[in-house]
Amino acid sequence: MWRFRQFLGSVMSLSVWSVLFTSQTDLFGYNRSEMISYIFVAALLQGLILASALHGLAQRIYSGEISTLLLKPISLFSYFAVEEIADKARNVFFTIIESGILIVLFQPQIILPPSEVFALFLLWALGGVLLNFLFSLLFGTLGFWSPETWGPKFLFFIFVDFSAGKLFPLNILPDWLQSILFFTPFPYLTFMQTQLFLGKIPVDEIAFHSTILLIWIILFTIANKYLWQKGLRSYAAQGQ
Amino acid sequence: MSQPVITVSNLKKHFTVYKKQPGLLGSIRSLWHREYETVAAVDDISFTINQGEIVGFIGQNGAGKTTTLKMLSGLLYPTSGSVSVLGYNPWNRKSAFQKQFSLVLGQKNQLWWDLPAIETFLLNQAIYDIPEAQFRKTLNKLVNLLDVKDSIQIQVRKLSLGQRMKCELIAALLHNPKVLFLDEPTIGLDVVMQKTLRDFISEYNREFGATVILTSHYMDDVKELCKRVIMIDHGKKIYDGLLSNIISKYARNKTLSLVFSESVTKKSLTEFGTVKNWNGSSATLLVSRKEATKIAARLLESLPVQDLNIEEAPLEAIIREVFGNKAKSA
Repeated sequence: MWRFRQFLGSVMSLSVWSVLFTSQTDLFGYNRSEMISYIFVAALLQGLILASALHGLAQRIYSGEISTLLLKPISLFSYFAVEEIADKARNVFFTIIESGILIVLFQPQIILPPSEVFALFLLWALGGVLLNFLFSLLFGTLGFWSPETWGPKFLFFIFVDFSAGKLFPLNILPDWLQSILFFTPFPYLTFMQTQLFLGKIPVDEIAFHSTILLIWIILFTIANKYLWQKGLRSYAAQGQ
Repeated sequence: MSQPVITVSNLKKHFTVYKKQPGLLGSIRSLWHREYETVAAVDDISFTINQGEIVGFIGQNGAGKTTTLKMLSGLLYPTSGSVSVLGYNPWNRKSAFQKQFSLVLGQKNQLWWDLPAIETFLLNQAIYDIPEAQFRKTLNKLVNLLDVKDSIQIQVRKLSLGQRMKCELIAALLHNPKVLFLDEPTIGLDVVMQKTLRDFISEYNREFGATVILTSHYMDDVKELCKRVIMIDHGKKIYDGLLSNIISKYARNKTLSLVFSESVTKKSLTEFGTVKNWNGSSATLLVSRKEATKIAARLLESLPVQDLNIEEAPLEAIIREVFGNKAKSA
């Protein structure tokens, strides 16, 4: 069902933008084929980066479900990582099938970047995957202290919808807002990767954005280490 | 044979809980004003357990038995005190340690609910690095001992409670743990199944020289398996010693069962002790433990006794009395 919703979302975006482009050739600096490429790449990246098997982690911690994992001679984080990879593999597989259907339906021209940009794109996508994984783990630690994890998570998702480029390309926002957003981790969860793919990031800014992405990964790693250590000490292994 | 495998000293675990007034109003009030309370789930407990022992933890609900087991397994971080199991601090969760013990929580399962149990067994084989030959051998043995050959290929959700519990036990024992913590392993099982599991635990202990700590609400489990028991009440240890000594320490009375050759009046019995049952031709009397033999001799002399039995009060009754008195004095 979730996949079908994603699929309908893509169909809707494609239809809306197709209609808009019948009257104009250029919107927010995107021409028709760029916009269609954006939608395809964004859909693929969402499946790859934002989909996560760890959405219920806080609940699993609060209810004591992770006890069985803690007793076994395996690293908790490797276990979560494997879960995450399996989930993403399934998502990407379906996204590719869906994209195939959409390509047949809309017959778009998709612009492919030169290979060195494509390599960097893959690297950034990997960075995005890591960032979202660390995000999910961090949210999970809420479960050590509180059962109320739904509220903050809901806010986070709404924010991601707007600021990761999930609903629309961030270029339509005012410049000052864009430059603030670029310092937050959110655009690195889909939007920046699409821009790189479409060749919309000037070469001299690539190093800057790569650094920001790296800094957030490091910060989140440190925060995770600290909070998990603290959390496990107050873990109550409830529900038994 | 008698090296300490588990050493616990001055172990404490305190939980902070907040008290909420009932109802919606209480919920709203608790938003800005919360009353916190510290609960000592385990309060200064010390003991050592040697290799090959089966020790029973007895205590009422919420006495701190499971909390202690969770600290011994490294799930909970102690508030203070120290724990050593097989020479490791459980909290560090070293895999060398985790490969040598198992915790079975009766109400919690590690089996994958939607998959047949054999899938969990195979996963555990990979997690615990069990060589193929050893895995097959242990699995066959456990499956035969517990008689679940037909169940392990069936989805866990479709198994009965008894079958599931047996499969849980297999999953926990595949890596031949040297230390086994069993929390209510027979809960919810019928008497036949309880017996099967008990026999099995005892056999496992004999064969592998495994050290076992067992908590149970069923006194039969404890009576049959454990020579030594540790009684815990409100987080404190109140008894640690042989099960048989509980009786001499806490039981004040013995029961005399009498059968008479001629009818005897109830009144003639009251001078010997408290009459519990009487129907003319037979009776049961409660008498003080110390006096039991003397009273029996006097009874034989003065009344037409055909048959006489001196019995200890049942363990359940003694333990009920111990905890009952504690609760009253607390």
